[in-house]
Amino acid sequence: MKRPAICFCLCLSVFLGWAGTGNAKAAKNGGSTGAAPAADPNAPDTAADPNAAPAADPNAAPAAAPDPNAAPADSNAAPAPDDSTVTPEGDDTSLTLTPEVKPKTAATLSWQDIVVVPRKAFLKGGRVEFLPFTGVSINDNLIRHYAFGGAINYYLSDALSVGVEGQYYVKELTASEENVGLQYNRIPTLNRYKYSGALIFGYAPVYGKFAWFNKQIVHWEIFANAGAGVIATETVPRDAGLSPFDNNRIMVPVGIGSRFFLFNWLTVNFMLRDYLFTDLFEPTARGTNPALADPTAAKNAADSAFVNNLMLYVGVGVYLPTKFSYRTPR
Amino acid sequence: MTNITHGRFALVASRLVGPLALLAVALAPTAAHAQRKSPLEDAPAIRKRLELRETRFEGGVGFGSTINQDFYHTFMLDVRLAFHITDWLSIAGVGGFAVDNMATGFQQNLVATLPAMQGPITREPPKGLATASMSKIDMADALQAEFTPFTGKYSMFGKIFAHYDFYVFGGPGFLKVEPTNANGCGGNPTAYCGDTGWKVGGNVGLGLHTFFNQWIGLNVELRDIIARINPSGRDVNGDGIANKDDLGWGSTYIATANIVIFLPSTAAISQ
Repeated sequence: MKRPAICFCLCLSVFLGWAGTGNAKAAKNGGSTGAAPAADPNAPDTAADPNAAPAADPNAAPAAAPDPNAAPADSNAAPAPDDSTVTPEGDDTSLTLTPEVKPKTAATLSWQDIVVVPRKAFLKGGRVEFLPFTGVSINDNLIRHYAFGGAINYYLSDALSVGVEGQYYVKELTASEENVGLQYNRIPTLNRYKYSGALIFGYAPVYGKFAWFNKQIVHWEIFANAGAGVIATETVPRDAGLSPFDNNRIMVPVGIGSRFFLFNWLTVNFMLRDYLFTDLFEPTARGTNPALADPTAAKNAADSAFVNNLMLYVGVGVYLPTKFSYRTPR
Repeated sequence: MTNITHGRFALVASRLVGPLALLAVALAPTAAHAQRKSPLEDAPAIRKRLELRETRFEGGVGFGSTINQDFYHTFMLDVRLAFHITDWLSIAGVGGFAVDNMATGFQQNLVATLPAMQGPITREPPKGLATASMSKIDMADALQAEFTPFTGKYSMFGKIFAHYDFYVFGGPGFLKVEPTNANGCGGNPTAYCGDTGWKVGGNVGLGLHTFFNQWIGLNVELRDIIARINPSGRDVNGDGIANKDDLGWGSTYIATANIVIFLPSTAAISQ
């Protein structure tokens, strides 16, 4: 008799444990079952994404009435909460539904887990971003530069960052450059970029999200950059028999970009950046004036011109630490 | 007999209860997991969404400019008409009418180095001849199918909110070009002044809308019209003669910004 009794007790304990789990879940459901987030008249388009972004949207759809299709059918569902059950948390951009109504039954995960205006999906404050990137120049018809580089950014807050970047350039002369010689009997005066480094400050004023065919929410932001740095350039001699000379110039990078959040630790970044600097070009008289054959003499007589080097980049941001925690509960 | 049967049953049952109990323990989390199914599973990503595009007409005007041209920046008055068949598919026609063609810095630098009169080197044209054959764009038109996979909204400084969408498009593109001075070739065989008229090619690009409200917004497009052109109007293939054989497939990048109006003026709201 002992063995059946032991077995019975074991089964009973397993059953009670299982049932207890379900009961605890029912209590967690908190009675907000059926209270669709659309009940908030100030709600933006009701995002099903639990990490959906921005705050109350004045341009949102006027979803004042609870949507009968917005919640799972549940004949025992509690009534939708009114404004009195919506309490601000932290600031007016963070609202959460309070579980004041007693639960009856629930078959699914709680609506309490879904808030009208959830937190940002990705926090950057206090984290370090390692950003390898590649880019191409887009505003020079005669010479094209491909850039390979990286940046390390530290985020002082979720919007502000400071970092350093470095990149190496590879040049390519275009068909237009060849045509100038053929069509006009002229050889363009060009410089190639060798490498550059800069201190970069970033600010992200725009945070958004988009729906991929209304199936999946992706979060992103727009940021602006500015800073200061140094770029090394080298002349491309019109006469191949002459030696080039190097320049190290102070430059000011300014730009904008967008960052798409893929995981808690990974983003894809697109950047458009203008590097502003004054460069020294091979003097026009070099080649006809023997005194300018020497690179130093040519550099001393170099023509100066202001340069906008517009570059388009794509990069992958890896964030450390790879995880982050929210300071507010919701 | 009954006692024997009962005894065997008890023995078998007692031996089965242990494994069954383990099985129940193993399955319990699975059951709990199943119970934790999200109420949003299989739901659309956005409920109560403003259907800002589906079955609506769009029309607008604005300005455009070529980008990265060799010899002339073309500034255009831009017109756009579109019909959005679904939220993610639309057809559109755009027309760009040149208002002004401004010489690029490259053209100015190049022409400044050329002689005033024709010298002994045939392929070194004088200033007037070099400028005369350079192509200007009169019109840049396109028909396009637009595919809008990204729609959403953004906040600016946490204060300004707007709906937006990104789309890609493709279709036929048309460029109407003419030389700077069709009568200025002066019989120079390396200058081709007959490159006038429509150039038919392809048109691809990216665009976005950002909505100010349900019926008015800003539309920005970056397009590439790929057609057989010869911006310099001079000999390209090296045969010493400039003619249609010197036309080559080339890109003409155009950026446009239009203020657009959507009709009906009120957007539907999804479930």
